[in-house]
Amino acid sequence: MATETFVLPGDSLDPELLPSHPTLPLRLGPGLRHIPPSTITPTVAGQLCTDARKNAVWVEYNGGRYIPTIGDLVIATVQRSAVDVYYASISDFTSAASLPQLSFEGATKKTRPQLSSGSLVYARITLANKHMDPELECVSSSTGKSEGLGPLTGGMLFDVSLGMARRLMMTKPVEQGRVVVLEELGGLGVAFEIAVGRNGKVWVDSKNTKSTLAVGRAIQETDEKGLKIEEQKKLARKLVKDL
Amino acid sequence: MPREVEPSQNEKQFFTKALSENIRIDGRAFDEFRELSLEFGDEYGVADVRLGKTRVLTHITAEVTSPFPDRPFDGLFTITTELSPMTSPSFEVNRPTETELLLSRMLEKTIRRSSALDTESLCLIAGQKVWSIRADVHVLSSDGNLTDAACISIIAALQHFRKPDTSTSGEGVTVYTLAEREPVPLSLLHHPLCVTFSFYPPPAEGNEEGEGEITLLDTTHLEESLRAGSVTISMNRHGEVCQIAKLGGLAVDAVTLLHCTSVALVKVKEISAFIAKRLEQESRRKDVDGKMKTLLSSENARIPG
Repeated sequence: MATETFVLPGDSLDPELLPSHPTLPLRLGPGLRHIPPSTITPTVAGQLCTDARKNAVWVEYNGGRYIPTIGDLVIATVQRSAVDVYYASISDFTSAASLPQLSFEGATKKTRPQLSSGSLVYARITLANKHMDPELECVSSSTGKSEGLGPLTGGMLFDVSLGMARRLMMTKPVEQGRVVVLEELGGLGVAFEIAVGRNGKVWVDSKNTKSTLAVGRAIQETDEKGLKIEEQKKLARKLVKDL
Repeated sequence: MPREVEPSQNEKQFFTKALSENIRIDGRAFDEFRELSLEFGDEYGVADVRLGKTRVLTHITAEVTSPFPDRPFDGLFTITTELSPMTSPSFEVNRPTETELLLSRMLEKTIRRSSALDTESLCLIAGQKVWSIRADVHVLSSDGNLTDAACISIIAALQHFRKPDTSTSGEGVTVYTLAEREPVPLSLLHHPLCVTFSFYPPPAEGNEEGEGEITLLDTTHLEESLRAGSVTISMNRHGEVCQIAKLGGLAVDAVTLLHCTSVALVKVKEISAFIAKRLEQESRRKDVDGKMKTLLSSENARIPG
């Protein structure tokens, strides 16, 4: 749950803002620092968020570069192919992540997908370590199904901020993330397909160039100008009118 | 050292498809510039230019030095460009990249070689003392079309700059502070500006003979990384071409090049008018209630002789 509390680095937090749980220990997320014995201060400027059920607290902020974390869904660009792995870039100026060629749905030595340099894949991070290159997979290791992951063909890639990517990926983007522009566009009859990467990439595909660009621009403008719900609805109507 | 991720196949294909439908990724017309904004600093000679997400800040400074022995009547004018890691992690300190070299070379050719600044007017005492004018160009953020933005920024800063007033008596030069005497503007002979054209091969479907390459103006970073060639034309608002630079890339038809120069003239006129407008707004902002003129005149009247 996002609260309305805005915190600055070094602020003293009101203890009432922190969740309390009878059994679980308090979990600190990104942007908070514990100074023993009992001080918790923010290290970044942002919105204080709490989850009472998990007894977790973190700061939601919109900036910085992407740091891989296990379980994140990202859009990566295949750089080159080795004997049994692809090397894919998750973000600029970071070393490439490895994506085993057999970690695609139904892939065997003979039926593995052939990806050339520059292809996009939607993948999950399986290994993230400060001192090692990340590893990716495009298939769920428990079920053997792709679950929507895999190579992305066609469409266009748009860059958004990391905060926007998180907002789009929330379980309820409308209530929690306050992003309604995509629902609005869909409601106005624009059909599109979308994949959001936690690394600040959004892949959009639709029937024609114009509607793909309209969707991409809607997301980027909502992100850059910090549009409110009403403004997002207005933007969606304006974009649909121009189609 | 890991590098910047190049545009993916999907982006390249989408971009070419959009171009063939006469659409640019950001929805502009092919010959349309991004939103241009120009801000001046509190000091004289500070200009901050924003062209979309590209941002360039130029700072002009002046000091008195001795001239080169072979050119005793000429003042000095240097342009230094700096692309710091703040712009993009691909730029390292003290290790100029190709982009940086090309940028400084282009600015040098456009502004210095076309003698936009009259260096003879910077001479104080022949062979002994001259003004040395230095333009520091800082690229604060880069989203394509650095050359045009940097050029606009230098030209605007040079026009905004005022050097301290001086008086010579025999061998001595007196430099007056801003409080003592109103500083004087630089003597600019003309105001050259760069316009960069990016070329893309014609789409494969339109296989007609007469169809030429697609030309885009004021390209973003993505468009720049996908272009097949570019031409930078520098000219002033009177249509005098200072230089044309085409550094390899796609072969361009002579007719296209002629067309480019006429488009460049239109753009240069627009940008020159914009700079002039902003300079006037700025001088009006500093000149509260239009009192500057009367104040200055009374100041001068008090100086005897």
